[in-house]
Parts: sequence; C-alpha cells; structure tokens
Amino acid sequence: MKKYFLLLFYTTSVFLLNGCNEPYKDDRVTVSSGVSRSTLADNILTRPVYGAFTLLVGYGIDLKDVKVFKNEAGFLEIQVTGHNRAVYNKSFDYKVDWIDANGISVDSKAAVWNTIFAKSRSIFSFKTVAPSRDAVDFRMNTRPTPN
Amino acid sequence: MKKLFFLFVIPLMVTGCNDVQRIDTVNDQGKQVMSLDYRDFDQAASQCIQSLIESGVLAKTDGSRYVLSTGVIINDTMQRIDTEQLTAKIEKDLMNSGLVVMTSAVGGTASNRDDTVYGLRDVRDSSRGEEFNQDTLPKQGQIIAPELSMTGKIFQRNLTYDKHKQQVEYYFELKVTNLKTGLRFWQNEVLIGKRGSNKTVAW
Repeated sequence: MKKYFLLLFYTTSVFLLNGCNEPYKDDRVTVSSGVSRSTLADNILTRPVYGAFTLLVGYGIDLKDVKVFKNEAGFLEIQVTGHNRAVYNKSFDYKVDWIDANGISVDSKAAVWNTIFAKSRSIFSFKTVAPSRDAVDFRMNTRPTPN
Repeated sequence: MKKLFFLFVIPLMVTGCNDVQRIDTVNDQGKQVMSLDYRDFDQAASQCIQSLIESGVLAKTDGSRYVLSTGVIINDTMQRIDTEQLTAKIEKDLMNSGLVVMTSAVGGTASNRDDTVYGLRDVRDSSRGEEFNQDTLPKQGQIIAPELSMTGKIFQRNLTYDKHKQQVEYYFELKVTNLKTGLRFWQNEVLIGKRGSNKTVAW
C-alpha cells in the first residue's frame, strides 16, 4: 500500500511541477514549429487536418500594430506589424499611397506592389518611408500575391 | 440565313482573334516570368529609393540639396537590359524628394548627359555666339560639379534546382559615392529570385 502511495505522490508531483512550468512567452519572439515542442499544428499526423481546419476557418494575416513616426530627415515612416495565424507560409502584396496635407496623393515611383513573405504562425513586420517630406498621411492596400 | 451569318458569326470570329490585352501596370495580376519584367524593376527601384531616403545620408544639415550624377550601371545578366529602367525611376523619386538635384553635365552614359550643355558653350566661343544676346549665354564657371555619383550592377545567377526546375537569381546592386572624398555613402542590394520550369529560358 505504501508503495502505491509513493507512486501516486511521485506521479502527482511530476504532473503538478510540469503544470507550473508554463513556457515563457513574449509576443516579440516566435518560437517556430520544430523548435518548440510539438503541437497539433506541428505533429506530422495532425498537421494536415489542422491545416485544412485553418484554411476552412480562414486563418490568415492579422494586423497587430502600425507605428507612424517622422525620421530625422523629416520623412514620414510607418512600421506595420502583423501575425500570420495560418500553419502555412503566406505571401501578400502591399502598396502604400502617401497623402500630402491637402489630401492629394504624392506621386512616387516607389508606390508599387511590394511582396511580403510571412512565415507560418509568426509575427512579421516591415517598414516603409514616404518619398517626400510633403507626405503627412498614408493609405495602404493589400492583395494576395499573384502566382 | 446568310444575313444572320454575317451579322453574328463574322464579328464573333474577328473579336475571337483579338487576344491582345493592355497590361494594367498599376495592379498587374499577371503570372511571373523567368526573365526580368517591369514589375521586377519597379520593385528593385522602390526598395532602393526607400533604402536611400531612410538611410538619411542624402539629408544635408543645412537643408540644401546634393548634386548627383548617374555613373555606369553594368548589365551583367544574360538579358538585353537598358539599365535606365532602374535608374530613371530612382532619379525621379530622389529629385521629387527634395534631397538631390541631378546633373546632366556629367554622367556615365551618353543618355545621362545633355550635349546641349557643352554645345551651347561651343556656340558661345564661336563666331556664331555674337548672334546671341550675351546676357542669355552661360558664363564660364557656372556649371555645378556633382558631389555624389550613383553606380551599380545588375547580375544574374542560374542554378539547377532539380530535374525539372531551375532557379534564377537577379541581384540589383547600387552604390552612392562622394566624389570629393571617394567615400561610399550608401549601398544596397536587392535580390529577386525566381524558380520555374527548365523549359523556360531566362534571357
């Protein structure tokens, strides 16, 4: 009987201690699949099902943060941070139109569709700078990258 | 019956042959090609412009503008490329940014120079110069020398990816050098990689 109590005590302690050992998390650092422990999304057997589910649900790119600031030279800069919630790498295009104080679009050769490659289930960010000091605001459009 | 044929069938045949489409160059959703197309130049130029402006090296502390000349951009790809497809876009945005003014007096290629700058001076020094209002002719010592020069290279690497696919890497390298000191102010490399069928030829 004592043996069973000891075994029960041992297994419960291991379970409890493991439960207390929550992995440290920081939004700024993404521990990728294959680096961290296996989850439903990483497991070789469940991954296709999970992938199909995320596609069905429509997991994709979420916007997390947009920072706007003026650099030392007086040009407006924006930094966009997003989260690719899908289990697959995703690419998308973005295009920024810069607006001056009169609400007129600033003409620029840099205003083209640029491609971002976002790793699966990871945070990503990109920066872009206005082509002129006249720019005081912006509009950003996105689209799926054409194949 | 014959009338109907001419009314409907003939126009249908004529329109069916007309499969030429104008490209929407602003929102082009067309397939990628193995060679370099205008979208690649747009993207390379865009990234170089962004990098140059963001670096802050072109912002003079007194608010004045640098004089920039375009040197030689080497085309080391297997394609026939006019490198101005890249530089013209960059020059335009840099001038619009208010950071630089381009010079047509000095340049790496003939298309970057305007021969009229020196042609007018030749006229001034010839007997024909007397025909001009002297106040409208340029005096000696008026041409502003460039302070910065932009040079670069576009090169290509072809790799075998597997039995059926090839990989082509295009590198766009640009440098800006201070002509007085010879020091390099800025440089950037944009890589555009493409992977596709072996049957496609990348030139």
